Amino acid sequence: MTTSGIVFMILSLTFVWGLAFWCFRKVLTAPKD
Amino acid sequence: MTEQAKEEWGTRLGVILAVAGSAVGLGNFLRFPGQAAANGGGAFMIPYFCALLVLGIPIGWAEWTMGRYGGRKGFHSAPAIMGVIGKGRVARYLGIIGVLIPLGVSFYYVFIEAWCLGYCWQYVEAMFGGTGLGIDTSASVDEQTKASSAFFGEFTGQSANGVIFEQFGETALFWLAVISVNVFFVFRGLSKGIEKFCSLAMPAMAICAAIVLIRVLTLPANPDAPDQTVANGLGFMWNPDFTALAKPQTWMAAAGQIFFSLSVGFGVIINYASYLKKKDDVVLSGLTASATNEVFEVGFGGMITLTASFVFLGLSGTIGAVAGGSFGLGFTTLPVVFAHMPLGNLIGALWFFMLFLAAITSSLSMYQPTLAFVQEALGTNRVKSTMLVTLLGVVGSSWVVWFSAGSVALGTIDDWVGTFLIVVLAAIQVILFGWVFGIEHGRKEAHTGAQLHIPPVVWFIIKYVAPLYLLITIGRFVWETLPTWIDGLAANPVARNTVILIGVVIAILCALVFLGEKRWRALGMDVDGDYPPYDEAPPVTPASTPPADASKRA
Repeated sequence: MTTSGIVFMILSLTFVWGLAFWCFRKVLTAPKD
Repeated sequence: MTEQAKEEWGTRLGVILAVAGSAVGLGNFLRFPGQAAANGGGAFMIPYFCALLVLGIPIGWAEWTMGRYGGRKGFHSAPAIMGVIGKGRVARYLGIIGVLIPLGVSFYYVFIEAWCLGYCWQYVEAMFGGTGLGIDTSASVDEQTKASSAFFGEFTGQSANGVIFEQFGETALFWLAVISVNVFFVFRGLSKGIEKFCSLAMPAMAICAAIVLIRVLTLPANPDAPDQTVANGLGFMWNPDFTALAKPQTWMAAAGQIFFSLSVGFGVIINYASYLKKKDDVVLSGLTASATNEVFEVGFGGMITLTASFVFLGLSGTIGAVAGGSFGLGFTTLPVVFAHMPLGNLIGALWFFMLFLAAITSSLSMYQPTLAFVQEALGTNRVKSTMLVTLLGVVGSSWVVWFSAGSVALGTIDDWVGTFLIVVLAAIQVILFGWVFGIEHGRKEAHTGAQLHIPPVVWFIIKYVAPLYLLITIGRFVWETLPTWIDGLAANPVARNTVILIGVVIAILCALVFLGEKRWRALGMDVDGDYPPYDEAPPVTPASTPPADASKRA
């Protein structure tokens, strides 16, 4: 695996996991009506 | 009167998981890695994420918004909602595509679901001393692949039409079982059935995927070929080839993958969102459902499938697996990989159980839009509507199971309904939303109750970029691919008759729209979207005031 492959993999995984965690955190901490 | 108005989601998390469950399917684990590896590896992620941000998520937001707006008018089916958004009969009849797609795809999807369950069962049996898939690991890799392919051919009835019903073996029993499970959960209703199931199935799927991922990432190097390591397997998938970025087909492939993966233009989101209330958020919910889909696609699909294949089959074997398509990779190559893997039977069972869960959360979302439409058009109760939808589903799926040789019926419906019509429906929806419903109206509607603000550029994308992309895609298809498909129909009677079956379904749906429109007008519902929803203060002029509480009557 090349260095650029590692970089692309880490960036991609960080983006999808980060987006999902951020979204779920906002959903779960939203005040209930 | 119907029971439609009583249906609603139990929790916000429930609807997000249900939409995400609808989107996460076999394509996340089997199609995505193949597409990425064939189109530049890690470099593929650049056009892929661009497509996610400028195409998938914006169109998804438009669908969520249209669905909730239609629900506020008392409608839950794509034809009725699109009639409201598109303000007239033409849009209403075009909305039939939003029922045809989920219903038509369900015809073959439950069959594939039965394969997943059947394969899972084979691995469970093997854990307790059964023969499993009959792969002899002491034979050559070619022989093992042939054995795996032979099992797949026999299990899925590739040899002759009618063989699955005539033998009435395990495949037929699994097919009946998955249809029964689907009908059971759909019949239980939105909150008690689909939502409850998805709320359990999605975490279970994530746990199965995580266990398989850990197993794959901790595999030792292949002793017979020291280069076949996990790191090199990941490299096969992720090492970037930047020259691919100069090819238009890479960008088209990335957009296509995002499009099909997120289930936009499928007729499901518009139905699911119609059960939301006026103040329920659609922006963050839509984004969260898309993000969940991406975790399964990139986070699991991009890490497991090709890595495992590379460690055991090497570079040439993995290239061959990718060339074999999703079914070849999932049902022929991976069983060979599992046969070599320590704890292979357990991992195989978990893998196919995860695929089964991915498939069933999707197939449940295919029955619900049809059920809502039947219920809404005929005014029947849930029992009668479920019986009618079950009848339609079983007849259509029986057709696919009977004409199993070469998967011709399956492939024909997948091509015409599950591929082409999805792009057509998305184009119609986004044009109606951007150009008839109006961007300003859509912006206000989307932001009602929203927890996030949609950037202004998204509205430009929805109005201009998305329709242009979709129309170009349709134009390219009509120019390049359609003639080949039509020639294929002339050459193959099963394919031709399958298209006739699709035509019969369209005729039935047209009749239901005709009956439904008469019924909705008789109930005084705002069929053509002339008035604000009942939960909004109407204009005071007497001429434009709708009949009191009309849209509540559905």
